[in-house]
Amino acid sequence: MDNTNQHSANAALVITREFNAPQQKVFNAFAEAEALAEWWGPPGFPITVVAFNFRPGGVFHYKASMQGQTAWGRFVYGQISRYDLLEFTSSFSNGQGGVVRAPFSDKFPMEIFNRLEFKEQDGKTTITLTGYPVNATEEEMQFYASMTGNMQQGFAGTLAQLEKYLLG
Amino acid sequence: MIARRDVFQAIADPTRRGIIQAVAQQSLNLNAIADKFDMSRQAVSLHVKILQECGLVVITQQGRERYCEAKLSQLKEVSNWVDQYRQFWNDQFNSLDRYLDKLH
Repeated sequence: MDNTNQHSANAALVITREFNAPQQKVFNAFAEAEALAEWWGPPGFPITVVAFNFRPGGVFHYKASMQGQTAWGRFVYGQISRYDLLEFTSSFSNGQGGVVRAPFSDKFPMEIFNRLEFKEQDGKTTITLTGYPVNATEEEMQFYASMTGNMQQGFAGTLAQLEKYLLG
Repeated sequence: MIARRDVFQAIADPTRRGIIQAVAQQSLNLNAIADKFDMSRQAVSLHVKILQECGLVVITQQGRERYCEAKLSQLKEVSNWVDQYRQFWNDQFNSLDRYLDKLH
């Protein structure tokens, strides 16, 4: 992870979630195409795996369909350390695997970097997810971060405060 | 049609962030902005144009002067991605939870 990513992570979305399963099992749910096909994807949109290459630089390309609507998604994997760490950049995609804008908003980032850390205790596994837009610069992140003391709230809280600050 | 500029791109520049802050306090004409930031009017025009293209500021003509006013609702839209993305991951994790339960 380079410096920019480190700084960006300071103003990112962080989600922690505990699962009632051992670390290996939880990690494998991300590491196998058959597993992803069972649980990944927008709720109610079963996915079809188009391509799956689980290694750094490899691509997971999938199609999600419901009632005639079709959307594609794509991961490009970064660091992978089996059972402990998984990084990927996610985006909406077209049928050819190219990056496209989110269908629902032109303000949604084109690509989002995701870092998942897996930790097991007493047979339960905690995933800590850190996510932030790839196209946001360090300056921009610092701008957001500078407006609030509590970065864990992410942009939403930050910008509410920013607005208050600006309107002074 | 000119592609709308990305808000992220627009606020990546420190001068443009300064301009947004300044005009959020009060509407300013381009000369006033140029003075405040010690820049040429030409340079200010370019920054303002970028901010205008992504909807962060609007320009209104008042007499002979063009005034620049902040529109902060665009910033809120940018912030919404976090809420959307948090919801997305919560859904994914719920689904993963059900999948793991089935494996037992």
